[in-house]
Amino acid sequence: MNSQNATPVSTDTTTGLRRTRVFLNSRREGIVIFGVWFVALCWSVPYCYINGYSQQVNVETLSTTLGIPSWLFGGILLPWLAADVITAWICFFFMKDDELGTAGDEEGQVGATTDTAQTAGGAA
Amino acid sequence: MNISQLTTLSQVDSDQAVLWTFLVYIVGVFVIAGLSNRLLKGRSFLSEYFLGSRGLGVWAFALTLAATSSSGGSFMGFPSKIYTHGWSLGLWIGSYMVVPICVMGLLGKRINEVARTAGAITIPDVLRDRFRSVSFGLISVSLIVFFMTFNLIAQFKGGSTILKTLLGPIDAFTSAAASLPDWIANFSSQGNEYLVCLVVFGVAVIVYTTYGGFHAVVWTDVMQGIVMVIGVVIMLPLAINQAGYVARTDDGAGLEQVTRRMAQMVPPRRGTGTIRSIENDADVTVPSGSWIFTGQSDQQRLFKIKDRFDLTNSEPEATNAEIWEIVAPDDIEQVRRRLESGSERSNVTEQVTLEINELKDYAYGAKPEHAGSYVTGPGPHRQKTDGFLPLSLAISFFFMWAISGTGQPSNMVRLMAFKDTITLRRSIFTVALYYSAIYFPLVIIFCCARVLMPGMESEPDRIMPQMAIELTTNIGMGWLAGLLIAAPFAAVMSTVDSFLLMISSALVRDIYQRNINPRVEETKIKTFSYVITLVAGLGALFGAMNPPEFLQDIIVYTGSGLAACFLAAVVYALYWPRSNAHGCIAAMLSGFGSHLSMYLIGFLQGNGFSAYRLFNMDPIIIGLTTSFLVGYVVTLLTPPPPQDLVEKYFYEPVQ
Repeated sequence: MNSQNATPVSTDTTTGLRRTRVFLNSRREGIVIFGVWFVALCWSVPYCYINGYSQQVNVETLSTTLGIPSWLFGGILLPWLAADVITAWICFFFMKDDELGTAGDEEGQVGATTDTAQTAGGAA
Repeated sequence: MNISQLTTLSQVDSDQAVLWTFLVYIVGVFVIAGLSNRLLKGRSFLSEYFLGSRGLGVWAFALTLAATSSSGGSFMGFPSKIYTHGWSLGLWIGSYMVVPICVMGLLGKRINEVARTAGAITIPDVLRDRFRSVSFGLISVSLIVFFMTFNLIAQFKGGSTILKTLLGPIDAFTSAAASLPDWIANFSSQGNEYLVCLVVFGVAVIVYTTYGGFHAVVWTDVMQGIVMVIGVVIMLPLAINQAGYVARTDDGAGLEQVTRRMAQMVPPRRGTGTIRSIENDADVTVPSGSWIFTGQSDQQRLFKIKDRFDLTNSEPEATNAEIWEIVAPDDIEQVRRRLESGSERSNVTEQVTLEINELKDYAYGAKPEHAGSYVTGPGPHRQKTDGFLPLSLAISFFFMWAISGTGQPSNMVRLMAFKDTITLRRSIFTVALYYSAIYFPLVIIFCCARVLMPGMESEPDRIMPQMAIELTTNIGMGWLAGLLIAAPFAAVMSTVDSFLLMISSALVRDIYQRNINPRVEETKIKTFSYVITLVAGLGALFGAMNPPEFLQDIIVYTGSGLAACFLAAVVYALYWPRSNAHGCIAAMLSGFGSHLSMYLIGFLQGNGFSAYRLFNMDPIIIGLTTSFLVGYVVTLLTPPPPQDLVEKYFYEPVQ
């Protein structure tokens, strides 16, 4: 599901370094997430505007779905449910589990009585 | 026992319940603070006090982020907006569908990694170490302290206003407030009750935040988050059931009928009038929110008098009283029913007369061509002729919640505190479900409130507690109101404690430890952290005693201003190896400047604290666009960063 080593990494053989996995995976995931936001924007606002704005309402013909005005149901509630499904997919099938590293303060958690600048501020 | 007596009894139950809920809640908060303080022992103090030792699990991380984002606005301001503008609030809040994945997913993993690599505890820490730039750290600290201080004062005022709303009907509270000596009461221009609430609220938050630090804030956030969602889950079916019954037709009695009833609603008229006592010799008290019918039975009109008036022999009339005329026939009928049942307490038709001075229709929503404005966009608005949510603002709010939320330092610092990526993934999904359970249901609940309780436009901020009392009283469970009303209080408390800790961490860590005394001893930094958190809190408390005008606008300004300053700088710092200190400082300052200039132009145009809207867009869009563009250009025009810095934050050795 979330294989830790699935992402191909770019390696610079001259320096013996490669981009960190977290950077590569985060960038890839960030692009997809931004795309999800953009799709939500492009669906919801135009849909609501076209179907729900500046319309004189006749009570008899007012269109509703489950009691909610249909323009809001189709423009917000349905995409909201879809967004939850997509969020679940991103969280449980798309995002990778990465090692985030260890901070100086974590290494010295127990009995930390030494200089605070060293234990809590690695790069101080 | 008649219906009126029953209602009064239920009201007393509700008032007592509010008091007990509040007391239990405060005790719970202090217990959590005590437990959190024990966690400080045996760990690196600063990391634990300001960041929870980077060890937050799923529930703590998810609910602290969700609760911090949901300020008092979510449970007071948002319901009042729904009540005032109708179903269009569904679109206004719509981008919350992607807020969890954006706020936590766009930056979360990467900012957590960079913070660990740098050993950073605060956002200025991250920026300073990422670019090895002391000036960048100080600029970001200055901006955080500037924005957060204003916001904290505003949130303190919000918290005390909510508390005043909750405790207002309780006799013991009003008596205590009235008995304050003058020399204490003179500290605040807002009245005795406000002052008492401010001190109670302020002292509670300051003490538990100071004593317990980050873990206290997080675990109280968890408790507050649970209270909020329980409140909504209980209110939703009650609201649909009771409003559906009021709007029932032959076809049924549910949300469908509520929406159709709303489609026939016409916004009330607001104006002023002169109230006179009918009997010249008698003293008459007109309580705030009193109703008065005028005219003959076939052409009777209904008005609500907003404020309280005491008419006496010497002053038998009140001029320029604010009045609201209810014009929709169904609404008038519902008020009449509520007066007869005792749900509405005061009808002064037999005691005073009303002479209308002036009445104004809503600028959008009252004309026949705007029929059904409560169930369509852009929604009714009292002053704006283009309605509540024109297209440009609808787009702006899609940026506002999701993108601006991503740029909030208070959210970013939480992203530095989760334990591992499994926690992040599960938390994003948890928050997504949490927001789904709260925000759209709130829209439904307070659309139902329009049908149940007409005429609340005169005091919309009271709609949340009023609705809680109404729903529970109607089912004979007034005590339940206490739990429901705790939700807005919890919301504002969870925001205030987080902001307080941010200011304190900026002063202790980013200014004192990193610039003045880097080799300070653990015991000294511990004392200093407690003192600074206490002083920052007390400073905000004193500031809130006489709060500045335009407070709600200040909250909006600081929220969007922080995003305009920090989002581009942090995104470049995390994702662009070529980025350098010059470019990111330029991004931060240009975001600050362009966003501020929109407000200055608005001020110079005589709009007070309302920003100038270029292309009718919210200033956040101008600020973000400028910040990203300027940051990009300046970066390319200045030298690349040192190679060792790029390698430290973007590269790892080949295994």
